[in-house]
Amino acid sequence: MITPPFKKILIANRGEIAIRITRGCRELGIATVAVFSEADRDSLHVFLADEAYHIGPAPSKESYLNYRKIIEVAKQAGADAIHPGYGFLSENPVFVRACREAGITFIGPTPENMEAMGDKLSAKALMRKANVPLVPGSDGAVETVEEAIEVVKKIGYPVIIKASAGGGGKGMRVVRAESELESAFRACRSEGQNYFANPAVYIERFINDPKHIEIQVFGDTHGNVVHLFERECSVQRRHQKIIEESPSPSVPNDVRLKLGEAAVRAAKSINYVGAGTIEFIFDNQTKEFFFMEMNTRLQVEHPITELVTGYDLVKEQIWVAKGNPLSFKQSDIRQKGHAIEARICAEDPVTYKPSPGRIRACRHPQGPFVRIDSYAYPGYEVPIYYDPMIGKVITWGETREEAINRMERALSEFVLTGIKSNIVLHKTILKHPKFLDGSYTTQFIEKNFEVLEPEIFKEIDDPVFIIAAAITAYQDRQSKDVRRLNVASNWRRIGRKIQLRT
Amino acid sequence: MYFECELKGKKYKVDVIEGRHNWKVSLQLEGQEWKHYDISKNDYKSAEEYVSFLFEGKSYLIDVLGQDTEYTVFTRNSFRTMQIYNDEMLLHRSLKKGGGMGGDTILKAGMPGKVIEIFVKPGDEVKSGKPLLIMEAMKMENEMRASTDVKVKEVKVKQGDSVESGAVLIIFEDKK
Repeated sequence: MITPPFKKILIANRGEIAIRITRGCRELGIATVAVFSEADRDSLHVFLADEAYHIGPAPSKESYLNYRKIIEVAKQAGADAIHPGYGFLSENPVFVRACREAGITFIGPTPENMEAMGDKLSAKALMRKANVPLVPGSDGAVETVEEAIEVVKKIGYPVIIKASAGGGGKGMRVVRAESELESAFRACRSEGQNYFANPAVYIERFINDPKHIEIQVFGDTHGNVVHLFERECSVQRRHQKIIEESPSPSVPNDVRLKLGEAAVRAAKSINYVGAGTIEFIFDNQTKEFFFMEMNTRLQVEHPITELVTGYDLVKEQIWVAKGNPLSFKQSDIRQKGHAIEARICAEDPVTYKPSPGRIRACRHPQGPFVRIDSYAYPGYEVPIYYDPMIGKVITWGETREEAINRMERALSEFVLTGIKSNIVLHKTILKHPKFLDGSYTTQFIEKNFEVLEPEIFKEIDDPVFIIAAAITAYQDRQSKDVRRLNVASNWRRIGRKIQLRT
Repeated sequence: MYFECELKGKKYKVDVIEGRHNWKVSLQLEGQEWKHYDISKNDYKSAEEYVSFLFEGKSYLIDVLGQDTEYTVFTRNSFRTMQIYNDEMLLHRSLKKGGGMGGDTILKAGMPGKVIEIFVKPGDEVKSGKPLLIMEAMKMENEMRASTDVKVKEVKVKQGDSVESGAVLIIFEDKK
């Protein structure tokens, strides 16, 4: 048996990803330290770790983003490494340097990697040098509305305005006409300021009806960089992914190779270390692809890559962070079969509004080739402070068709009540002809599901719902009356007692 | 026991009779015939967390969440929310209607969250489509706008407040 690369790892995250990392550590024989905010005492990641420490109040700024506190806890607990998961501190170079100073290994890329890719404008300049294809747009930040109008004159509508430091659907606006330009420009700047403390925005051509294709890359400290093929993440609502699959049904084999090579060039040009993802915007008509951004962290959708390649990305991250060379070569890596992931979110499936609250019943799917990464359990109160995603269902099949059918089967087994969830939306998407033939794009949901009463509720007749509600209402009313009766009989009993005494 | 039910704008009259071994539930959608369902208690069985309901040849696992008049029924990854009024509530409602309450319009929070910014104060006249306030829940900011021309009577929250679902945010003056 190989000695574990670390003794104890602190996981600076919450929810399903904290659990995913805990699992990787366990399998390597490494002890785990969970951290939690006031709102997360009952979160499953706390129960599953070896140790758990409270780090502050519910708002992320005062807990999961409070890196000084987290490092202090890591020292006290005797952790020799920190895994940041995704989001929160995962792409913060200040945190990485603070870990270094404290003598703790940060499991992830170097701060220089993050800085190179963290600002989208400087990232594009670097990619241009590395010969990675780019979308036409503003050469750098756009400061004023007048300047924005000038840029758009050159590249034409529609355009997309993006906060330079943005991500996760924040600080992004599509503009289709000049009348919308000014308000969208201001909104992006203020979101950039509020969320990322950087108001800089840039503008680029909005590729009509594109697909989102990304390549998983992995580097080590010895200069090796490989890719683990693509993931297609075009099923999005509010610019956030909800279904991902690998391989993409739209990428021909020769383009797949070019994508992989471009991604490796991109990562190599900045001496990238650890797991990262190069996101491309993909024109399905011409099969052209353009660099969008690099995520310098583990992705939510990493499990589909794990299922088609057979490599455990979290364990590889830990292995590489210790300074070991990658445990696989490019020629070892193959895509086998097909994997799909559906993100289960506590939200209204029609309006996409978050629906936090107490979960009543929760029973996860089981059975062959189904993987569940979830932190939901019966009685758990989904807090209002964090992301609405509560878990992921991932299925594998020998063919795409089998993976889809398996996903439908798995979702049908999923029982989740008390809060609203998007499971029913997923089931509808899986039956949609545009999903089935693979022609869907990032506007798929916007175009096909933006109706008030979508197909998704038609499957079940109203009487089923009304009868169940009516019987419950009857029982509720009865139990109230029973309570009243009990009170009455108590009076009678006391009355009798008094009589007996006299 | 008699109820009235509202589901997606449709009104139903509902009658529930509990027998020793069965439930008799009758439904009448407004303007249509009564429909009668005789459901054996063996086909509507409570498990620990949910009800197993065998209905018209299909098997449903059901969970019902009831709060006051609002009932949400979950089954097969789907759900419906409806209003159910029992006799007592129907009586209250009819009394209220006769009482001539001032019909102030109210903006309520659709979900629990935090008030990020308020754009209006009492006395403001707000044109339809203009922003009233921004709420944040689960990382998403939602701007709430006036759905019609309104005059603000009272603002019940302040910036930074955390509110529960259904909390009153702004009261508007009744337009006469």
